[in-house]
Amino acid sequence: MAVNWAQVIFNSAVTGSLYLIGAVGLTLTYGLSKFPNFAHAELITLGAFVGYFVTEQLGLGWPLALLVAFISSGLLGFLCCCGIFQPLARRGSSIIHLMVASIALGFIFRHSIGAIWTWKPLYFTGTGSAFDFGPLRITHLWLWLIFAALALSLAMHLFMMYTKMGKAIRASSSNPGLAQASGIDVDRVIRVTWFIGAGLAAVAGVFRGADTQIWPMTGWDIILPIFAVAILGGIGNFYGAIVSAFIIGLAENVGVVGLMALGVSTTYRIGIAFLILIVTLIVKPQGLAMLFRRA
Amino acid sequence: MDPLLYVLDLIVFIGIFGIVSLSLNLEFGFAGLANFGKVAFFLIGAYTYALLSQTGIPFYFCLIASALVSAVFGLLISLPALRLRADYLAIAILAFGEILRLIVKSEDWLAGGDWGVTVARAISIEGASHRVDALINIGLVYFCLLVFFVVIQLLANSPYGRAMRAIREDELAAEVMGKDRTKFKAQALMMGSAMAGVAGALYVQYLHCVLPGMFMPMITFTVWIMVLVGGPGNNWGVLLGAALVQIIERGTNILKDYIRFLPVDPTLLERILSDLQYIAFGILIIIVLLWRPQGLLKESKIRSKVQRLAYDGRRAAKNKGS
Repeated sequence: MAVNWAQVIFNSAVTGSLYLIGAVGLTLTYGLSKFPNFAHAELITLGAFVGYFVTEQLGLGWPLALLVAFISSGLLGFLCCCGIFQPLARRGSSIIHLMVASIALGFIFRHSIGAIWTWKPLYFTGTGSAFDFGPLRITHLWLWLIFAALALSLAMHLFMMYTKMGKAIRASSSNPGLAQASGIDVDRVIRVTWFIGAGLAAVAGVFRGADTQIWPMTGWDIILPIFAVAILGGIGNFYGAIVSAFIIGLAENVGVVGLMALGVSTTYRIGIAFLILIVTLIVKPQGLAMLFRRA
Repeated sequence: MDPLLYVLDLIVFIGIFGIVSLSLNLEFGFAGLANFGKVAFFLIGAYTYALLSQTGIPFYFCLIASALVSAVFGLLISLPALRLRADYLAIAILAFGEILRLIVKSEDWLAGGDWGVTVARAISIEGASHRVDALINIGLVYFCLLVFFVVIQLLANSPYGRAMRAIREDELAAEVMGKDRTKFKAQALMMGSAMAGVAGALYVQYLHCVLPGMFMPMITFTVWIMVLVGGPGNNWGVLLGAALVQIIERGTNILKDYIRFLPVDPTLLERILSDLQYIAFGILIIIVLLWRPQGLLKESKIRSKVQRLAYDGRRAAKNKGS
């Protein structure tokens, strides 16, 4: 069987872009609040459904769909942070309690979505058609996805390096005590980060939903690779996440080719992310972060 | 359905999930491990039982094998995972459970893949009614529950259990006192997995079938609710939690059968009832975490011989003094 390697590379870029947009929020909130937010999956799902609501049920355009999805998931993330996680942390809850709370919130959101939009898969209609470019099969959606990931990387880079808030996020993530002592309102920084992170999760959800289908498990279906991206990239490390998102995208797409060559079911593609996740945790839990440490 | 059967059914489920929540209590309540992949070991026990029972081996061997295979997997996952921080351990075990479900789902030769296979009852009597069947299952499940309960209760009050609690409270201090934390945690995970495996086996033989859809992460979450609501570190508490959660869950299912008698649109309610139930569970757990993190029953005090002697001695001294 001849493998179209150009297509594999292109698909890797598409997958990596999706994972990057989805994982940025997770890795930043994980780094600041010091626990993994399992409800991140449902923030992705909510974004997909809000996007569906705006484009299909209200019949409005894509830019507005992305904006509304960003704001609604962002607000939800913000509210979870102020209403539940920060009070819990103030009461001295252990990390296990915080994780359980995030799982509980995930279930609340998932089943609320299920109750509103039912558990039947829904499809976006206006996702554009595919066309051939040389040996590649491309859809407009994929090009937009890659563009969104590039724009996000650039915007986040500028934000993290040159704005006060970005610097505050980095400072609070690496040393909360010192940041607080230097006059940074760490709690506020955490709340802002939750808003941005949850909003970006929603953007990933809209793209994922438009590319495949949406149902209340949309986010949960890709939560493993997204966790793998956050951990391989080094928790709280945005630059690590960029690299690891594309590593995992590539590993998955090359892995699928390998799985097909071996005659194994391609549903195992998610297993590749799991393997990377486990190996990273065992061998180097700090992930790729050390590549981006400044002297 | 016959109303008595609802009750018997509920009792069986309370027993099965009582075993699982006891096992999580051992891991989380006593040893402080965040096992977010309970369902993985439940699944391993269930599939081991399902596959072995097809070969015609007596059911008690199948049950023991389920316990052993789950324990081995518990040990295997503990080897790399226990050196990790609590959050990494949680992610790794959760991912393990998801992958395991993926495997049984895609491998058709192994117990029918997505469609599953039927599983024979452990004990079946020719021509027995459903009620008798349920009663036999109650006997079997509660026998296992009793054995595990006694073992964990003894363990919790023994020096071994005290070492475990010490590791939960302060790993470093316990290590300084010469307690090997990795060993204790691995053993807790192994025992907990064995118990979860037995529960999984009992579950599939009671339900007569095994399919990947029975092992959603939801199971892990309900078991966590049972433990956290009931009271981590208290074996009576987690059984109470298991009973409460199961009563709510089964109650909702029964409600579904009777919903047409209610003066609301039945199709809509039927559709959203299970969603509402899970939303309620989620809200319940957040309320517990925010306002009663110790659960309904507080962690049981350690009862040991030395403590009793000390108490008697103090009382004797007081009596002499007065």
